[in-house]
Amino acid sequence: MARFAVRRLASMVAVMFAISILTFLLFQVLPNSDPSTRLAGRTASPTQIAKIRSDWGFDKPIYVQYIKTMGKILNGTVTSYQQQLPVEDQIRQDLPTTLSLAIGAGVIWLALGILFGVLSAWRAGRWLDRGLTVLSLVGVSMPVFFLGAVLSYYIGDKARILPAGDYVALTSDPWQWFKHMLMPWFALSVLFIGVYSRILRSTILDTINDDYVRTARAKGLSERQVMIRHVLRNSLIPIVSLWGLDFASVLGGGAILTETVFNLHGVGQYAAQSVEGLDIPPVLVITMFGAFAVVLLSAVVDIVYAALDPRIRL
Amino acid sequence: MQRSFRLLSALLVALGSMVVVAACGSSSSTGSGAGKTGGSVTVVQGTAPDYFDPSLSYTTQGANWGWISYLGLYTYAHAEGTAGTQLIPAIATSQPVISNSGKTYTITIRHGLKYSNGMAVKASDFTFSVERAIKLNWGGASFVTNNVVGATAFSKGAKSISGITADNAAGKIVIHLMRPYGALENVLAFPAMGLLPPNTAMKNLSTSPPAGFGPYELKNVVPNVSYDVSLNPNYAGQAVPGVPAGHVNVHVKIETNTTTEASDVLNNSADVFDWGDTLPPALLSQIQSQSSDRYKAEQTALTLYFFLNTTEKPFNNPLARQAVIMALDRNALARLDSGNLTPDCYFLPALLVGHPTAPCPYGNPAAAPNLAAAKKLVAQAGLTGTPVTVWGQERSPRKEYVDYYASVLNSLGFKATTKIIASASYFPTIETLKLHPQTGFADWQQDFPNPIDFYLLLSKAALQPTGNQNFGEVSDPVIEKGLAKLSGVPSSQLSSVASQWQTLDEYVAKKAYVAVFGYEKTPKFTSNRINFGSLLFHPLYGNDWSSLQLK
Amino acid sequence: MATDPAAVPGTEFSPGLPVGLASDEGEAPPGIGPYQLAWRRLRRNRVALAFGGLFLLMVVLCLLAPVYAHDIAHTGPNDPHITDVIKINGKPTNVVSTLGIPIGPTWHGRFFLGADATGRDIAVRLLYGGRNSLQIGAEATLLTILLATIFGIIAGYFRGVADGLISRAFDLIWAYPVYLLGIALGVSLQVGGLDLGLFKIQGNTLILTALIIGFIYVPYVGKPVRGQVLGLREREFIDAARQQGLGSLRIMFGELLPNVASTIIVFIPLILANAVLTEAGLSFLGAGVHDPNPSWGTMITDGIKLVPGAIHLVLVPGLMLVLTVLGINVFGDGVRDALDPRAKVRIEH
Repeated sequence: MARFAVRRLASMVAVMFAISILTFLLFQVLPNSDPSTRLAGRTASPTQIAKIRSDWGFDKPIYVQYIKTMGKILNGTVTSYQQQLPVEDQIRQDLPTTLSLAIGAGVIWLALGILFGVLSAWRAGRWLDRGLTVLSLVGVSMPVFFLGAVLSYYIGDKARILPAGDYVALTSDPWQWFKHMLMPWFALSVLFIGVYSRILRSTILDTINDDYVRTARAKGLSERQVMIRHVLRNSLIPIVSLWGLDFASVLGGGAILTETVFNLHGVGQYAAQSVEGLDIPPVLVITMFGAFAVVLLSAVVDIVYAALDPRIRL
Repeated sequence: MQRSFRLLSALLVALGSMVVVAACGSSSSTGSGAGKTGGSVTVVQGTAPDYFDPSLSYTTQGANWGWISYLGLYTYAHAEGTAGTQLIPAIATSQPVISNSGKTYTITIRHGLKYSNGMAVKASDFTFSVERAIKLNWGGASFVTNNVVGATAFSKGAKSISGITADNAAGKIVIHLMRPYGALENVLAFPAMGLLPPNTAMKNLSTSPPAGFGPYELKNVVPNVSYDVSLNPNYAGQAVPGVPAGHVNVHVKIETNTTTEASDVLNNSADVFDWGDTLPPALLSQIQSQSSDRYKAEQTALTLYFFLNTTEKPFNNPLARQAVIMALDRNALARLDSGNLTPDCYFLPALLVGHPTAPCPYGNPAAAPNLAAAKKLVAQAGLTGTPVTVWGQERSPRKEYVDYYASVLNSLGFKATTKIIASASYFPTIETLKLHPQTGFADWQQDFPNPIDFYLLLSKAALQPTGNQNFGEVSDPVIEKGLAKLSGVPSSQLSSVASQWQTLDEYVAKKAYVAVFGYEKTPKFTSNRINFGSLLFHPLYGNDWSSLQLK
Repeated sequence: MATDPAAVPGTEFSPGLPVGLASDEGEAPPGIGPYQLAWRRLRRNRVALAFGGLFLLMVVLCLLAPVYAHDIAHTGPNDPHITDVIKINGKPTNVVSTLGIPIGPTWHGRFFLGADATGRDIAVRLLYGGRNSLQIGAEATLLTILLATIFGIIAGYFRGVADGLISRAFDLIWAYPVYLLGIALGVSLQVGGLDLGLFKIQGNTLILTALIIGFIYVPYVGKPVRGQVLGLREREFIDAARQQGLGSLRIMFGELLPNVASTIIVFIPLILANAVLTEAGLSFLGAGVHDPNPSWGTMITDGIKLVPGAIHLVLVPGLMLVLTVLGINVFGDGVRDALDPRAKVRIEH
């Protein structure tokens, strides 16, 4: 177990560093990759640009720049180019929004995904199954920003049932927080519900015919016990592992489109704005943070996996 | 009251006097009997200020609080229209004494002023503040480094700026210039040149803004979310004439979605729509019909134009440039800009001294274009079929301008393709001289109300390998000669050379160096709670928060 | 890295239970190949075929864009009619109002679905936009499948260093949130394009967007292919092939490829659907298709800017997009049911 953890940790760190290098290089591809002209603004003189270049170290070789930036990221002093604000503070400020979105939507899509999947499998081939299948496929085919824009227009602007976008802190007003988050949660969940219910449905149907389920039935367990203890438990494994990864990527800034269309100042929107402003430090930190979340959660998933499935031992 | 106030200000401009401006300022604070003092208003801003540190901020959003929270030696009259472009002394006692050579400015500061943290304001604080702005790489630092003796050396590591001396006992500041520079007083009025206590840290203080001197204080900054611009309780006792003490505390909320931003103000859940943002067209018609008593489209000194590269084919040919100017349908461009465009052909915007009064040389910009004649010009020059790359910025409506422009070029017989670039990298890209962009979108918003600020963009001095602002690579001895003569004229005497600026601007229009299509209008739009009549729209800084009053 | 559910090797074709909308079918009759069997099953899945038909219809419609533009709308996709005045029921109407609000649907040949803010015909742009969206989707899918197959098979077959390198590269791309990588690539390659030495891709082109999307999805297919090959290479028929002295290349692409083909086929509609959606998402974030080229994504994005004034500018391209992707998805679902390996892909917003 300890060896497993160490190996996991090592690969996590390796991936994060590889990602940071990739991100850093990505922005060097730009033909005008020197950020000093952007930082200097439109009325800058050549001396001023030169001063910014040396102040920020843009005149140094690329690997020196990379090492310096990484050093600042690790000791928490890295600042953005655009506003020169500490990046980590900004992420800390944005994280509650993203957490609200990820947790709320994560619960919804997991619960509804399982519900629809089970119902679909239970009624396989019947009308309920067909209806849910069509519904989930529509969900999978829906771009979230389109859904978000249409929802905000009809429910937010027209009917005024729910506020369209914006974030209210949970600590300042829980009811408003809930009302503001409801539409983003729903919009973000739709696609995942579709994916999860489809996967669960097919795994349940596969598992029902597995040998050990037949054995369990032969042992005289009731159909309900078989379904819950054996079929559902085993069918949930891929769902749980998938959920961990999806949750992690939403947490790590993956919900860029949802956050943008609902104007939620989360990590994803921060990332999108930073990329738009060619602001390398925040993008570096967020991609590393996102990768960290994905890799960490995938490790957690493996442990849960092992707990759920006695056949897997770490 | 309001009208007589404006009339008075207009009179003052003509006189070029400053003593009465001060009197006028005090009249404005007692004027407009309808409003009251006290309370709090919410301003919604679509774009957050770039920095919350006066020595760094260089955007209109930053200037909104900058010019009322961080007074410098000079500031602008709190007035609308041309009257608002008048420079008035703030921490200085009077206009500078300028030596005959035009290269030495002597300024005396007021006695006994105190910063919001209680420290006394000293002459040497000016030197400190200038040095701080240069050290922190303020975006406008070149206005100082290009003109003040020793400023460039300081930016390269010298201990101090040799061209600025301060005598604290006498309260005297002497500034030495490398050459006569008429806009120096404007530069001193930048919020970034606001005086700061000498113990202010030499780093970006955006999360906890430094103390300053002014009617307001910048507080409670949560970057990209909100901040407060509160009344400075200590200001009233030491008020500077012409700089009113303000009425209400201002809470600013950042709301990146302009539709939400506008509907918040429309529904009175927020009070002031930021003048730097554009009202969504769908709401604009509603606002114009239902809330016309709290909405007005205001002129700004922002020129929108397509640059034409005078060294590259086809626009090295004057006929091709003339054809473009003739063929542009400015009414079409105005629709792309939701009607916020005032069509014109001159580089100097209408708000500025020197804006020509003569008719446009290539057709009335407000009328339909003469496409057939323009097409003939292109054919006559033998340029039909010339490939043209049109550079554009991703932002709306700028990319729409360029799409439209490309279609015009195509109908003239060119073979135009567009190259749309991410907003952040657009200008740094076309500012690269060796790229030699053929044509594309450009704009210029005044840094200060002096034509020299615009004409830097057409001067040889701007041609640099990077950061080139002269996109059209215009190099004309007539312009250079005119600038050599006019750039030294102090801002306070601008009106005396207005006709010379007009002649120069007419010359540029005649030579078709830039395809100007108009000047931007911006919304002055408030909630029902605000006393709309008393809110001043300043020609440089927009909504004057110190004039905000609740009904 | 994570135990990816998609990496579960599904090497055998189990007819399984009646899945999805397919009708029940008994055990396979002897002597019929798996593909024939799959085809039979697919043929009976009417719903899947109907949606496949819907997708084809969309493709045909989009291919007919020039005909519509030329003969019905009499305007091109990028022709602005900002100051044009057209007659509606005999009444002259501005195509774009002086405040910049475009007209809504006229239900006539010109501006059938209305105009956009630049006075361009929505219906014409819709069809041209669909062409671009589908073209990008198809090119991206082709690239993903090609790279994923080659690298997946190489990694699975050679194992060792090759596998290590390829798998780490897969992990790297995979750990990046899809849209974050997409916009980072989109923004940085936009200006200068991509110079690969042998050939150079201009910035601001459709193919560049297609390349970016195709590149992003490689690990999502590459990982399962690799996993499957890892299982297959231990099987007898590969041993036999090796003993016959067949070269690695022959084994990889002559023996292994046909055995992973069904997995790859299942992924094609999935990736196609996701590529079309990703194009829309990237365009929404300003890192995809650029004006004046229309695509459904850019059209929705431009429409959102005019909401609440003109919701149809969002609805029309959005519904086209949803219907097309739905067509691909339902059909793809049918194909998967017919072939039945357990293929999944991690999707994000």
